[in-house]
Amino acid sequence: MQHVTLTVNGTKVSRDVPDETLLVTFLREHLNLTGTHVGCDTTQCGCCVVHLDGKSVKSCTVLAAQAQGGEVTTIEGLAQKDGALHPMQEAFHRLHALQCGYCTPGMIMAAVNLVDTYPAPLTEEIVREQMEGNLCRCTGYHNIVKAILAVAAAKRGAADKAPVLAGAE
Amino acid sequence: MVMYPTRYHRPQSLEGALTLHAEHEEASYLSGGHTLIPALKQRLARPSDLIDLAALPGLRGIKRDNGILSIGATTTHAEVAASAVVRDAIPALAGMVGTIGDRHVRHRGTIGGSVANNDPAADYPAAVLGLGATIVTDRRRIDADDFFVALYETALEPGEIITRIDFPVPDQAGYAKFRSAASRYAVAAVFVAKFGAAARAAVTGAGSAGVFRLRDLEAALAKDFGPAAVAHCKIDPGDMLEDLVGSSEYRANLVLVMARRALEHPGEACSYK
Amino acid sequence: MLAEQIFKSVGKPVPRNEDQRLITGRGRFSDDFSLPGQVFAAMVRSPHPHARIVSIDKSAALQMPGVLAVYTGADCAEAGLKAIPHNPVPSTKYDMKLRGPGDTEVFSGAHTLLPTDRARHVGEALAMVVAETLEQAQSGAEQVAIEYEVLPWVADSQEAAKPGAPRLWDDLPSNILVDTFFGDAAATEKAFAAAAHVVTMKSHVARVTGVPLEPRAALAHFDSVTQRYTIYAGSGGAVRQKQELAAVLGVDPKNVRVLSFDVGGNFGTRNRSFVEFGLVMWASRLLGRPVKFRAERSEAFLTDYQGRDLVTEVSLAIDKDGRFLAMRAGNLSNVGARCVSLSPLSKGSGLITGSYDIPIATLHARAVFTNTMPTQAYRSSGRPEVTYAIERLIDKAARQIGFDRFELRRRNLVRSEQMPYTNAVGSIYDSGEYEKNMDRALALGDWKGFPARRAEAKSRGKLLGFGFANYVESSIGSPKERADLIVRKDLIEIVIGTQPAGQGHETSFAQVTADLLGVPFEQVKITLGDTDIVSAGGGTHSGRSMRHASTVIALGSVDLIAKGKALLAHLENVPADKAEFEDGLFRVASSNRTISWFELATFAEQGGLPVELQGGLRVRRDNEMHTPVFPNGACLCEIEVDPETGAVDIKRYTSIDDVGRCINPLIVHGQTHGAIAQGVGQALWEECAIDPASGQPLMGSFMDYGMPRFDNMPSFKSEIVEVLSPTNPFGVKAGGEGGTTGALAVITSAIDDALADYDHPQIEMPVTPVKIWNAIQVFKKRNKAA
Repeated sequence: MQHVTLTVNGTKVSRDVPDETLLVTFLREHLNLTGTHVGCDTTQCGCCVVHLDGKSVKSCTVLAAQAQGGEVTTIEGLAQKDGALHPMQEAFHRLHALQCGYCTPGMIMAAVNLVDTYPAPLTEEIVREQMEGNLCRCTGYHNIVKAILAVAAAKRGAADKAPVLAGAE
Repeated sequence: MVMYPTRYHRPQSLEGALTLHAEHEEASYLSGGHTLIPALKQRLARPSDLIDLAALPGLRGIKRDNGILSIGATTTHAEVAASAVVRDAIPALAGMVGTIGDRHVRHRGTIGGSVANNDPAADYPAAVLGLGATIVTDRRRIDADDFFVALYETALEPGEIITRIDFPVPDQAGYAKFRSAASRYAVAAVFVAKFGAAARAAVTGAGSAGVFRLRDLEAALAKDFGPAAVAHCKIDPGDMLEDLVGSSEYRANLVLVMARRALEHPGEACSYK
Repeated sequence: MLAEQIFKSVGKPVPRNEDQRLITGRGRFSDDFSLPGQVFAAMVRSPHPHARIVSIDKSAALQMPGVLAVYTGADCAEAGLKAIPHNPVPSTKYDMKLRGPGDTEVFSGAHTLLPTDRARHVGEALAMVVAETLEQAQSGAEQVAIEYEVLPWVADSQEAAKPGAPRLWDDLPSNILVDTFFGDAAATEKAFAAAAHVVTMKSHVARVTGVPLEPRAALAHFDSVTQRYTIYAGSGGAVRQKQELAAVLGVDPKNVRVLSFDVGGNFGTRNRSFVEFGLVMWASRLLGRPVKFRAERSEAFLTDYQGRDLVTEVSLAIDKDGRFLAMRAGNLSNVGARCVSLSPLSKGSGLITGSYDIPIATLHARAVFTNTMPTQAYRSSGRPEVTYAIERLIDKAARQIGFDRFELRRRNLVRSEQMPYTNAVGSIYDSGEYEKNMDRALALGDWKGFPARRAEAKSRGKLLGFGFANYVESSIGSPKERADLIVRKDLIEIVIGTQPAGQGHETSFAQVTADLLGVPFEQVKITLGDTDIVSAGGGTHSGRSMRHASTVIALGSVDLIAKGKALLAHLENVPADKAEFEDGLFRVASSNRTISWFELATFAEQGGLPVELQGGLRVRRDNEMHTPVFPNGACLCEIEVDPETGAVDIKRYTSIDDVGRCINPLIVHGQTHGAIAQGVGQALWEECAIDPASGQPLMGSFMDYGMPRFDNMPSFKSEIVEVLSPTNPFGVKAGGEGGTTGALAVITSAIDDALADYDHPQIEMPVTPVKIWNAIQVFKKRNKAA
């Protein structure tokens, strides 16, 4: 057993868990934070993406013990304390970047990390390249790209116009 | 699936890690975990103990000392790809590492873990062999030419830990890979490097015995380092991997095309699919 | 048809009600539920494609730590569990009537939860282990010892159809379960004999799988006091699952409660019950503990119901002026080890002539058993396959007889004046303007600018191809639907039996209701998925939901308004005809005072009302509609091929889709995008490949099964066309499947065009880089030799 202590969404938590417990299992089953999802078994789909110490990671491929002492942000912790949505959540809603919602938590966490940490202005090509680690079966990706570019543009202070995707409507 | 039960350790020193491994015959080292943990989740292996190397001091970091670029074994792909030192010294290496897996994988995966694993379609072995790097371990230095022994097999002894990889800084290098649609691993990828009058070219993803050097391309590049040299290169399909993604003839073709494109884009890593 | 009114909500791109919980991590997917004391199930699956089960030894497994039970087919049989009543033969009024050989009833092969006799496909569940933890269940499953007698197997449908092939079911003399002729064979032969040109094509549209990102999961528990089963399990229709699972367990359906809340994608894969759902319910009663099952992704690849797998041979008879005279088609559907649904073969059969006025046709439709996972409907069930067949055949014909491919199409498109149009196999297309779709697509996709783009690509050593396809598809679906319309204190609640997995019913149905009842969109709530509340309903498949829901809600609204007026008349003590309703408000004629729905609902709660006005301000309305609708459109794309590597890059993709009335364009465009992606995936990357030597499935994970991703999909130009259908009050057709229907054809058409210099090789899907490269090498060798 491992005594794992993490700061999750701003709150310090501790649990005794089997050594082999994955971070995603720790979140879903030990903390009852079921917003983070499991969609595959080969570390490819990205449904499980959370932030660990400021970086997006696939929580299905990190042991809870490896994250010991770290800071984790999950989809449940993204909105403000007063309930105001994060701009990425707003953009996903406004631009219809989700349908069934299963990939959405991991998708939003991945997108937030991309917009927050990519060292150059985001273009459609860069977004598509950098979001390769997240699969979606419902949306065909088009609206997700739009949402990410909209948030990136707003962050840069660019004029608030809907992003135009190459060859798109 | 769910991993078999195991014991997790987080030694704070190299000696601690080595001692733990000596005490537990069925132990596995854990670095980024992005090859080991997926394998454990498939219940393909059953290590009694996992020895996490992440806390070992001095194993993480990048520095350049004249003609040698040293990358610590637990340095993540994201750190290497973003490093100004690497980009300045060997831009094709930084570019290549920026194409490994995806962003989230790059935040965790490490050079030590990748090189120790020697996946026949991974990127790092091509760079390590293509640059003639030296693998520095807790007990010795191993030349790249002696390191990659067979598929998923290296010259590492049981318990041996890679501490860093020393890359000689070339005059010029390039990388081009063709990725599989599904796994995103290399179907064929070539890393080329120029060291004065000499040249090296290493291929990953295509060889049936793992990463290998393209000797006749190296000879041609030594005479004239550029894309035209590829015309002198012949690949025997018999040496190539054959699977659903590509026949051996197809891979043989891809190797030459990727070699040429790597030479057409010096200082870059090109990724195709 | 509803009188045209200014829709305040309908037709607007309203962002969705469902989003709030989904973007904040408060979705309710099946595996998100847990119950105290729950235990876990793991399945033991056949490693063989075909084998007799000689014995199953549970003893070692039962010794493993934490293992509570091991169940086999023998245990299920002893307990009297029944086979799942899949009801595979589509049998609404307008479905194509498939029959067994010699015009017999179709034999479908029983689907018991666990078999007693043999394993008929790799991955078939043969035993279930239940343990305290999931790891213990998996370790226990590894210890179950099964002795097999390996049998000859067959995975390929053409091989399975041959006499002497290994037989899956002793009840049939062969593996052929469906053998039906449609159309006029004699007239077809006559037309072919007299035709100036005959063009033929054969293709195997390969097996794919739906890959919803949420793996299937179920949590079941049995309450020994109430004797009721409760199961949390996402599906394509909670009511249907309830009926089926109750039948399997041999209990009254009122003792089963199915809870299907958020469903992480369906696409057809969840339309039929899975064996694990019945097994965990049964086990929860035997063990007195809640039992949870969740599939691994590898299990999903192996044992989700799969899609497509059609061998099609099509021929066109054409006159000297390019008029299509007749069509011949032979379609062979691979249903897998047992027949779970014949929807793909049936739906496809009705649309073999596509968007074209082909007066005479004959179709030989067959279905065959093989030692593979059963197939069923998958996004646009059956229609992408037949659209691919006719559209690619026309491309081939154009080349063969020297016609422009667009002109050949225009000459033969069904014209708007011909609507409603009865095709040569009896399908009645309700409405559509096919040539307008074509024109609009070609304009939107800038067909005129293509030559310049092709030249530019050539200058970079790349081959740019232009693909085009028309499509028409059908939405039939379960014919019955029910809606409860309930006026509560401050909102209108609609209880309905559809089952969305991302289609946005909580939003679009609210838009419909808001406009019908004259209330703000924000004051409508849609209730789905709990069979203790949803008493009846057809689920979601085949694009049926909006058409059925909007119709039954419209009919129910009429009833509800009538009840409201009657209530008002009673309360105000005026004759019935003095009660009025307009713009969402009730009033007594020539009075200024208006009463809202919500005020009226309060009055409706009071006592002393006559019998017919009791029960609150609510109505229940049932509706049955059989008439299908035919969404249609045109799509085009440009694909750049790298001849050195065979790599393809989709540069642009344009889609025109006639969905009838579009309730929410935001949602419909999203459906189009996702539908296109699934079609593109099949055309370029996806395949449930099987090793011909061993019968083993080769695609067990995302490492092998290529998917549409951010970096291999283009952005889309999609436009919605609304030619209202005369078949239902809102004029709705369907918007969920058109994007897939044309995709197989348009992608392969573009690659074919790109490879014009290489003699238009026919490359089977998925058209992977190695296949393209091989085709180019074959051409080069042939021409070197020549």
